[in-house]
Amino acid sequence: MNAMAPVPLPEPWQGETYHGRPTLKPAEFDWKVATYIAVQGVAGAAQLLAGISRTEDPEDRDGLASRARALAFAGSIIAPAILIGHLKTPKRWYNMLRIVRPQSPMSWGSWVLTAFGAASFAAWGAERMGWRRAADLAQIPASLAGAGAASYTATLLSTTSNPLWAAARAPLAAQFAASSMAGGAAAMALLQRSAGKVESARRLERLSAAALGAETAASMMLSDAQRRAGVSAPLKKGPPALLHKAGAQALGIAAPLVLRALGRPALASAAILIGSALLRQAVLRAGDESAKRPLDSLGFAREVRR
Amino acid sequence: MDGGLINRGAQEAERTAGARIEPGRSYGFFTDTTLCIGCKACEVACKEWNGLPADGDMRLSGHSYDNTGALGAETWRHVGFVERLDDRPGEMKPFQSNWIMFSDVCKHCDPAPCLEACPTGALFRTEFDTVVVQQDICNGCAYCVPACPFGVVEVSKADGKAHKCTLCHDRMKGGMEPACAKACPTDSIQFGALEDLIPRAHQRVEHLHEMGQDRAYLYGAPGTPGATHGIKKLNAFFLLTERPEVHGLPSEPVRPAPRAQPSLLAGLGTLAGLAAAALVFGLGSRR
Ligand code: SF4
Ligand code: SF4
Repeated sequence: MNAMAPVPLPEPWQGETYHGRPTLKPAEFDWKVATYIAVQGVAGAAQLLAGISRTEDPEDRDGLASRARALAFAGSIIAPAILIGHLKTPKRWYNMLRIVRPQSPMSWGSWVLTAFGAASFAAWGAERMGWRRAADLAQIPASLAGAGAASYTATLLSTTSNPLWAAARAPLAAQFAASSMAGGAAAMALLQRSAGKVESARRLERLSAAALGAETAASMMLSDAQRRAGVSAPLKKGPPALLHKAGAQALGIAAPLVLRALGRPALASAAILIGSALLRQAVLRAGDESAKRPLDSLGFAREVRR
Repeated sequence: MDGGLINRGAQEAERTAGARIEPGRSYGFFTDTTLCIGCKACEVACKEWNGLPADGDMRLSGHSYDNTGALGAETWRHVGFVERLDDRPGEMKPFQSNWIMFSDVCKHCDPAPCLEACPTGALFRTEFDTVVVQQDICNGCAYCVPACPFGVVEVSKADGKAHKCTLCHDRMKGGMEPACAKACPTDSIQFGALEDLIPRAHQRVEHLHEMGQDRAYLYGAPGTPGATHGIKKLNAFFLLTERPEVHGLPSEPVRPAPRAQPSLLAGLGTLAGLAAAALVFGLGSRR
């Protein structure tokens, strides 16, 4: 079949494109997808926190596990509903549950969501019925599926041909996971504060601050990897870059630290939650920009192995 | 028994393309840019056979004779036009003028990134080793769109489902070669079984080299540029004389699926680290 040695390309690439036209199509995942990723992240992280709280406080005297289970269960219903809303043919959403395709993060992600919903319902429902052992048993799969639900969305973006998303698969996943944990801890801190559990709220606020630190570190690795791959422009200037800087970084990371120092912890938690959603929206919009830049996509398909 | 073929006897494709169509074999296109005259018969034949609407607003793009622009939900063949204005006519290579035409199409990749991404199984590999969207399954999640390394598949605004070239699956079922290949007046688009097309394409490259067109090479046949990084072959492959980028093709397309594992591990690892911190420092009140 392959009688001849492959002929090398005529000459090195000097930045030629086809009339400057895009070579890829943007995914055009809309604000619903960004909201979905954020809500799923908060719900998944809350379920992790419920698990941790059960080992630490078996009597649930702070009510943290109980509230976290309720929040996770609510999220596990709302998030898929938002996701189905983004489908262009929503009445066929159930076709996602028609097959299992291990190569597709969208496919196994749907199964993770399904498992997360079922286990979250079980943990929440069993606790409501007063079956504490059963609730704790359901907590294990619920926490594991929660971890998956809070982090697989970055994998979904990176496992594409989009230059911006594909260039930095590990840091993007770390960034999304840290943002999910920051959001989950912030949401629980808000609930604990409103229930008068101030000490628990403070610890959750500290955890969310640590998660913001991890998110910042991941963001730095992310922009470094994107710069090295020559795909960082959409996050440098233009509307997605502005959204990223003002929304995700200023409002989502810097403002909460200032607000906390000023003694406004509830406002700080709210800012973290909004910033977490804006981060996802900025990454989606920047990805669409990236797909439209032929120099980025053609350069990426030349430089990057795998 | 007959794999669903309508016609078990003589097939039209045997007369028009010299290819017999049988389920279980791999079929594709060999598109030779050195033969293309830019007549767009393939574009029109595709639209006609597949009942696809016109491209729209009738404006001129300014991109040579290309007013189609790109492949998309309603455009499954697209003829690109490149004019080499900087070269002098005397420096033209034989068998390719400075006006280079290229009929682009879905590559029917093997493995196909769009198919691997599709969560519903709407995208599937057919009995002819081609990649087709089942319209009654697709739910318009659009995940195949960013998955494709060539920007081919698109979700239509009209019906909310993904569309792309089917390699005329319906015609093949009836023993007919795809509409574009049949319409092509210069045989720039050749349809056939890959076991016939690939050696024929290599011979064509050799022949062109002998005649002085030493830039000719295959893109997408096994072991050539275009079949890289986990993509074994493009069932619709090309003969080019310019770098792939000149036609908007990536020089080394990458299969995205292997990125999932390192990404997932990084995400779960980050969560595990933060969960460990929460365990150590505690989440509840101290008493
Ligand atoms: S070219 Fe794109 S749409 Fe066609 S088979 Fe390959 S990945 Fe799928
Ligand atoms: S849009 Fe349709 S064909 Fe594309 S991945 Fe989704 S379900 Fe599959």
